[in-house]
Amino acid sequence: MTWILPEGACLDLEGIPGPVHVLHGLGGGTQGQVFEVEVASERLALKWYLPACIARDPHLERRLGESIRATTPSDAFLWPLALVKPGPGTVPLLRSRDPGFGYLMELRPPGFVGAHEHVGGHLAISLLQVLRASFFLAEAFHALHLKGLCYKDISLGNLFLEPSSGRILICDNDNVDVDGRDLGAVLGTPGFMAPEILMGLARPGANSDLFSLAVLIFRLLTRHDPLRGRRELAIRCLDEPARRRLYGEDPLFIFDPVDPSNRPDPIEHAAALITWPIYPEPIKQLFEQTFGAGLQAPQRRALTGQWMTALAAALDQRQLCAHCGQETFPAPSDPGPLCWSCGCPLPHPARLKLPHGLVTAAAGNALYPHHFDRLLPLQLKAPLAQVEAHPSQATLLGLRNLSGQTWRAELSNGNRMAVEPGQTCNLSPLVRLTTPAGAVELQS
Amino acid sequence: MPFPNVRLTNRPLHFIYICDCSGSMAAQGKIQALNQAIRQSLPGMAEVARQNPEARVLVRAVSFADRACWHLEKPTAVQQLQWLDLQAGGITAMGEALELVAGVLQSPPMEERALPPVLVLISDGQPTDDFDAGLASLMRQPWAQKAVRLAIAMGHDADTEVLQQFIGTEPGGGLPSGEIPGASGQTPLHRSGRSPRRPLQASNATSLAQYIQWASTAVVGAASMPISRMTGSEHQANIPLPDLPPTLMDPIDDVGPLVW
Repeated sequence: MTWILPEGACLDLEGIPGPVHVLHGLGGGTQGQVFEVEVASERLALKWYLPACIARDPHLERRLGESIRATTPSDAFLWPLALVKPGPGTVPLLRSRDPGFGYLMELRPPGFVGAHEHVGGHLAISLLQVLRASFFLAEAFHALHLKGLCYKDISLGNLFLEPSSGRILICDNDNVDVDGRDLGAVLGTPGFMAPEILMGLARPGANSDLFSLAVLIFRLLTRHDPLRGRRELAIRCLDEPARRRLYGEDPLFIFDPVDPSNRPDPIEHAAALITWPIYPEPIKQLFEQTFGAGLQAPQRRALTGQWMTALAAALDQRQLCAHCGQETFPAPSDPGPLCWSCGCPLPHPARLKLPHGLVTAAAGNALYPHHFDRLLPLQLKAPLAQVEAHPSQATLLGLRNLSGQTWRAELSNGNRMAVEPGQTCNLSPLVRLTTPAGAVELQS
Repeated sequence: MPFPNVRLTNRPLHFIYICDCSGSMAAQGKIQALNQAIRQSLPGMAEVARQNPEARVLVRAVSFADRACWHLEKPTAVQQLQWLDLQAGGITAMGEALELVAGVLQSPPMEERALPPVLVLISDGQPTDDFDAGLASLMRQPWAQKAVRLAIAMGHDADTEVLQQFIGTEPGGGLPSGEIPGASGQTPLHRSGRSPRRPLQASNATSLAQYIQWASTAVVGAASMPISRMTGSEHQANIPLPDLPPTLMDPIDDVGPLVW
């Protein structure tokens, strides 16, 4: 690739004090090129726009400047840090007639892979982490929308995941705009765009973000597309007019509760049929709402907070099948749940009763501050406790104290003992834990 | 436990190189430059294919000289593709090459459902056989009509008129077929007068490599997965094509042939 910025050069750029050392090019596309640079002994990424991109999007510079002043909504965004333009000494070094501009951002940390790796089936990832990633995605949009901003063009292409933790990163934040102001040229990506945007009836904003968010969560959870069922089979050549029909003119959710005419094909769309039964009813209802009434009525789409609630609740009821070991999510109210994978009955699990919630005792499940205090926001990053299997006896479950404070445990023989930070308390003899956050009771 | 071993069903995307291997391609290292450009483009193409869960990118190649024949007949997954060098020598049976392509775009062997094929015609000269008959035969195939058809002219002897006929006219009224970009004096749609819907002028090995790279990555991406849409890009035939690679960095491009 021919790099616009010469590799190895030290550039003076307006917008930041001190020189920018261009280490090497990281990649390029039709919008611009990204470089790894060093600024004041800190490694950062620098995106530089191609002249054609700037010409197409006259408000790009203004939007970027405003995003930088607004600062990042959350740590899930690779947010622009500084807008830079070539200084007088740099212009002759650029391999471009129009000097243009760019912005600095953090480098994408190692361990994050493109979400397409998961959707394409190239990634080993657990259901736990896929649900967590979906929660973090909803949480990131929640924070963005609460700032009065909208993203406009979310798709698989600008989402990255860390498979071991479910953490996400959202890249390409240069279309972010104040919701409703419409100072941008981007419309979105077909397949993720809301129907009214694809059909040219509205401009992208927070309401269309909610549609794209639901598509992205659906694709993460099912590795399938919400609108591609039997109707897709009638399409021989999947080109733009065909996508317009599927996603804009005549969209129908593959699991529409009323109209079954676009159900997945058992052979062509097996992924959807296998994965859909995994998930609890509240998650399915949010999809049915967004891809049902919400197709035509943007205000009926599931909100970011509703997604967070439903996804966090699913994680609370995660249970491992005793027969096949697969992760299942039976509702506590389900009288006779079966494993979605092997079909075996799932026994009634031990559950931890908290002031605000019920968490199934299964290795990997965690207790968060919001389980103890209803006023605290839902978050999945700083657990107070986690259920773990004994390192050598896998059937023995314990609750590890991840808080910084000592717990008091009450055992079934009446004894009491302390559980220090970092220690794990065996759940089998446990009756009740008293923690500074609140009480944990074992329900068998 | 891992996520269930399922994935989105994908559709095949047939990518076919149609390469001029006439005797003139032996001059000034042109055939070597073409072999290099294609070989160098494969890792990027494989990466794009991997990034797109919806597509299964399959490559084939036709070469034409005295006769047209399959250089790579079996549709080959780009990840497994090892490019064998094309050899130059003979005249320019371009029409016959299009007949061969027409043969594989009918169903069968074409799958019932697929993504729009991408056909890339690369030539440095003029057809010596019945080009019109070959093109007519190709364009009778619905899959050829749906295909993204690109053409690369190597050097100044290429017949841009036949290449434009292969591409078809630009949607939304571009230059009339065969007209050399910029020659009419009207304002071109693209800043440097270039358009992916016109023959791409590769005046040297660098620009050839850039165009091959662009066709095998950006165009494959656009044909196989939806790309980000901007205002004003609503009506762009059946596949909106990505921007051409920037040649501003290569100031000797677009000034006409230098070496060949």
